[in-house]
Amino acid sequence: MNAKRKRPVSAVFLLLLTLFTVNEVAAHGERAQQAGIRMRTIHFFDIEIYPRTLKVNEEMTVKGKFIPSENWPDHLASTEGTAFLNIGVPGPKFIRLSSSVNGQPMIRSTSFQEGELYEFEMTLKARNEGEYHVHPVISVQDAGPIIGPGYWVTVETGTAPFENHITTLFGEELDLETHGLSNTIFWSSLWFVIGFAWFGYWLFRSKLPIIMPRYKLIADAKDADDIITRQDQIAGGVCLALCLSIIGFGYLWAEDKYPVTTPLQTGKVKTPLIEWDKHAVAAELVKAEYRIPGRSFKVEVNVTNTLETPVRLAEFTAGGIRFGNPNVRELKPQDRHDLVAEAGLIVVNEQIEPGETKSVVFEANDALWEIQRLTSLIYDPDSRFGGMIQFEARNGQRYPVEIGGAMLPLFN
Amino acid sequence: MERISTVNERKLFLTLDILLIPVLVILFMGVFSFHFALTVGDWDYWIDWRDRRWWPLVTPLSLIVLPGVFGYLLWDKLRWPLGGTITILGLSSAAWVSRVWNFEIFAGFPLNMVTPSTYVGLGLMLDATLVITKSFMVTGLFGGFLFGFLIYPLNWPIIAPYHLPIEMDGTLMTVADVMGYEYIRTAIPEYVRIIESSTLRTFGEAVVPLTAVFAGFLTVLTYYLWVWVGYLTSKPTWIKKIV
Ligand SMILES: [Cu+2]
Repeated sequence: MNAKRKRPVSAVFLLLLTLFTVNEVAAHGERAQQAGIRMRTIHFFDIEIYPRTLKVNEEMTVKGKFIPSENWPDHLASTEGTAFLNIGVPGPKFIRLSSSVNGQPMIRSTSFQEGELYEFEMTLKARNEGEYHVHPVISVQDAGPIIGPGYWVTVETGTAPFENHITTLFGEELDLETHGLSNTIFWSSLWFVIGFAWFGYWLFRSKLPIIMPRYKLIADAKDADDIITRQDQIAGGVCLALCLSIIGFGYLWAEDKYPVTTPLQTGKVKTPLIEWDKHAVAAELVKAEYRIPGRSFKVEVNVTNTLETPVRLAEFTAGGIRFGNPNVRELKPQDRHDLVAEAGLIVVNEQIEPGETKSVVFEANDALWEIQRLTSLIYDPDSRFGGMIQFEARNGQRYPVEIGGAMLPLFN
Repeated sequence: MERISTVNERKLFLTLDILLIPVLVILFMGVFSFHFALTVGDWDYWIDWRDRRWWPLVTPLSLIVLPGVFGYLLWDKLRWPLGGTITILGLSSAAWVSRVWNFEIFAGFPLNMVTPSTYVGLGLMLDATLVITKSFMVTGLFGGFLFGFLIYPLNWPIIAPYHLPIEMDGTLMTVADVMGYEYIRTAIPEYVRIIESSTLRTFGEAVVPLTAVFAGFLTVLTYYLWVWVGYLTSKPTWIKKIV
């Protein structure tokens, strides 16, 4: 009997728990996104996260660059609508002290132009110890989060517990971890007490048992309203008067204690564009093939170098996987989930002379294509890919160029 | 013989009280929380969502459903003016459990950022009006209006400390905005918040009283609708068979 009674109760609690568990972006949920979306939305590069080992209360920088793709899928809302520079960590394990894109603070939402270069920087402060996979994220309204490359960060116990103080425009210092909490608990408890008192009054206004005798009384009564006594109505009057007085008093108290308040702030900001030589090196896709048995992605592009110095193809990035040309840039994974293809790139005609236009062929062979499910794009309805090539001049200057187009699968 | 049966009946009725009353409260906790999460959701979860325009309008309309339906049933069957009080007590208790357990302990948000608003006073006023007037008509008109009208002033002592102004990177913000920005919610980017987005923005300062009157008026109408649903629910014979 007892066990039977308990079951629906725990079922309800279980339901409540599952319902109200805050949804979080899973640490490696990025793989779940459609390949085409990952390759043709935002090209993140030069991502730096440092320091990667820090203590509670210490600060960490997340910075890098991104270019919204000019091959953005038509069916997907773009960053030219509304977007927000975000950070992917499992909950508030860090707090965000500041964030900016091209120097503009990113407290509010904004929009980003396709094909433009953006430099972002965020400062976080460690709040809870643990090991976290930290990603920059661009949240795009109606499209969802576009997740950038992530690195593992270890937060160790600090010398002091986490604290977060801020000063209001009146010069008052607040502790955001606890600000207003005891006040909220006071007002909520006050109302709970009155509520339970009213409930208790009706439960215990006559002798036990409670429900059935009253139910019968009302079922048998000629006019059930007569069951309500004068005393009940007086109790109701007292209750109503008490409620109105507390609401009135509470409002005036708050107005007196906090005479100057501001409504919640929102709005969209404009992100300035930075000057960069977008057309210094141009690349036009000739052909792209994916040979399934060898996991080999082969691309032919026509490259034009308008600079006065030769450039070499240094890196190809697609869907967050980086392929380095070992002759120019040796890439090494920085931790166990860094998406660097160790096999790198095989490049034919890697150097393009000043003023020259020529065909460059590169091949990116790595199991990461499969592991990251990027090759599943051949099952997408349009089988289009996107990626970014970085050319590098002698002086180390880099020129990112986006390529994109149809990809042809080869089955043998 | 008579005595024994009365004693037995008393025992049975007491057992019924002990079982039925907690089940009723827990049922309200579950049903109301589910309904409230689907309709109001983030508006009640986060301190930086309770704007002056949408939160005080959406909340009473969602909040009045159970007090209307169960208010009628409890009055009809037991002459208990408790529909507003018990349902909202259930909702609020469940909300506190969920915020402490899921939001603070499990997800790690500071509790002050995710505390529920208080609504118990609204249910009390509705119930008190019902017992004084013994009329759903008047209760709707008076109690229903107060229900929608007073939701903002009722919560203002809780919300006000979070609306103190702060400057951050040259941007004016409230304490609540700063908390929303600092404590990372990857799944809730800034643009998801619905803050006073409507043409009523042009009314500026007057947005609070205007919204309050509008909310009060709408709550009166919806209250009647839900009382009527309660009335329909009480009529069919199948419920009589169960009782
Ligand atoms: Cu990750």
